Amino acid sequence: MKNKWSHNLKGNIRVEIIGQESSAFINSCLASGIQIWDIQPLENERVLASLSVVDFQNVRKLLKEKKLKIRIKEKNGTPFLLRKIWKRNGFLIGMISFIVILFLLSNMIWNINVTGANPKTEYQLKKAAVELGITKGKLIFLLPNVREIQRQLTEKMENVTWIGVTRHGTTYRFEVVQKEIPKEKPITGPSHLVATKKALIHSMFVEKGQPVIAVNDYVQKGSLLVSGFIGKEKKTKLVSAKGKVYGEVWYETKVSVPLSTSFQTYTGKYKNRHYLSLFGLDIPVYGFSEGEFKTKTEIINETPLYLAKWKTPFSYLKKEIRETDGVKRSYTKKEAIAVGKKMAKKELLKKIPADAKINGEKVLLQNESNGKVTLTMLYQVIENIASVQPIPIQQGE
Amino acid sequence: MGKLRQQVNKWLMQNLDLPADVVMDLPRITMIGQIHIYIENHRGVKAFSNEQLALKLKQGTLLIKGSDFVIKTILPEEILLEGTITSVYFEND
Repeated sequence: MKNKWSHNLKGNIRVEIIGQESSAFINSCLASGIQIWDIQPLENERVLASLSVVDFQNVRKLLKEKKLKIRIKEKNGTPFLLRKIWKRNGFLIGMISFIVILFLLSNMIWNINVTGANPKTEYQLKKAAVELGITKGKLIFLLPNVREIQRQLTEKMENVTWIGVTRHGTTYRFEVVQKEIPKEKPITGPSHLVATKKALIHSMFVEKGQPVIAVNDYVQKGSLLVSGFIGKEKKTKLVSAKGKVYGEVWYETKVSVPLSTSFQTYTGKYKNRHYLSLFGLDIPVYGFSEGEFKTKTEIINETPLYLAKWKTPFSYLKKEIRETDGVKRSYTKKEAIAVGKKMAKKELLKKIPADAKINGEKVLLQNESNGKVTLTMLYQVIENIASVQPIPIQQGE
Repeated sequence: MGKLRQQVNKWLMQNLDLPADVVMDLPRITMIGQIHIYIENHRGVKAFSNEQLALKLKQGTLLIKGSDFVIKTILPEEILLEGTITSVYFEND
């Protein structure tokens, strides 16, 4: 009675023992340590008794010796229950596959929305997204996270200022802000050409208008270059001045180059580890080696898993371990200057218009202190300095 | 010799307040109304049927009569019988 639970756990059977001498059978069971219980005598020299499945073989041996017959009436306990459940495995398979399918479907991309893009950009964006693996039917937890997608898409798309990527359940939403290149309004009214910068006039090509400066003149910012008034005195006519005035403009660029720098690079070796995280406990699923890297950085990418709209306590975790390498770079003073010059030129090219020409460069200042070489470079650049300034039309004249 | 030991045991029991079943190897019988009977220190089943259970003891036989008998549990020294018990006899042979 007291170990009913253990009987049930191991499984027990109810048997009918047919033959005489039931008491002798009970005694021999006791002698050989076989547990029997609920012994109930019936008519015609039959006895009903329960015994453990574990002991069944021993009981059979004993019964053979005594020449008694046995008949199994009932089977109880976990092993038989499990077998019964297994017999109806259709239910079980159905239940499990329902959960699995629900799980897969709720972690799948069902829709991709693009807002704020014209058809051309939308097409390009969708193509870029496909390259990243974002298509309908893909499993969300296998994709990089939203921030990463946003970064990569923004990198790939050229004619887009910003892409906002958000995920609502099974829908990815791309919000696009397109670059709007303002159309240049043709100036039709009368206008002058004025200088945009302080410069020395190098050459000019005037299509329309009256130039008021000559080559090698020095002009300030905003000073008049080509007048919109043409014709002799009293017979002046207003036109919109047109032309190009090239001026020599001076640019000063300051760069400093440290003589020795240490920085980290990736060696390209990496290991991926996959985890299933349950309530913050990470269970490794695949990839068990840490990778014997001396120096490394780890990037952790966590994706929560959803069942329908509910967040499950499970999440998929991917850990990228990359080997890094500390590199030390040192320059001699000469090299540092050369590098500094290159850097300064790069810096300059960002500032000047595309059609500008660098006429000459000079090292203005150069000094070395605190392990750094500081260069101040002066560049002479020839560029178009003319810009259109409309002439206000005086009313009432 | 056996007689002497019995005498000693009896004396021990009476004068030292030791439980009789331990000292003298006697069965301890517990009954719950008519429906349960629990016997410790038996020596095996002699006969068992719906109306009667005969248990071997160290000395003699214990005969339990009644109806609808079922042995709920049986262990080498213990037995729990369920049913409607009408009488318990000691038979000395």
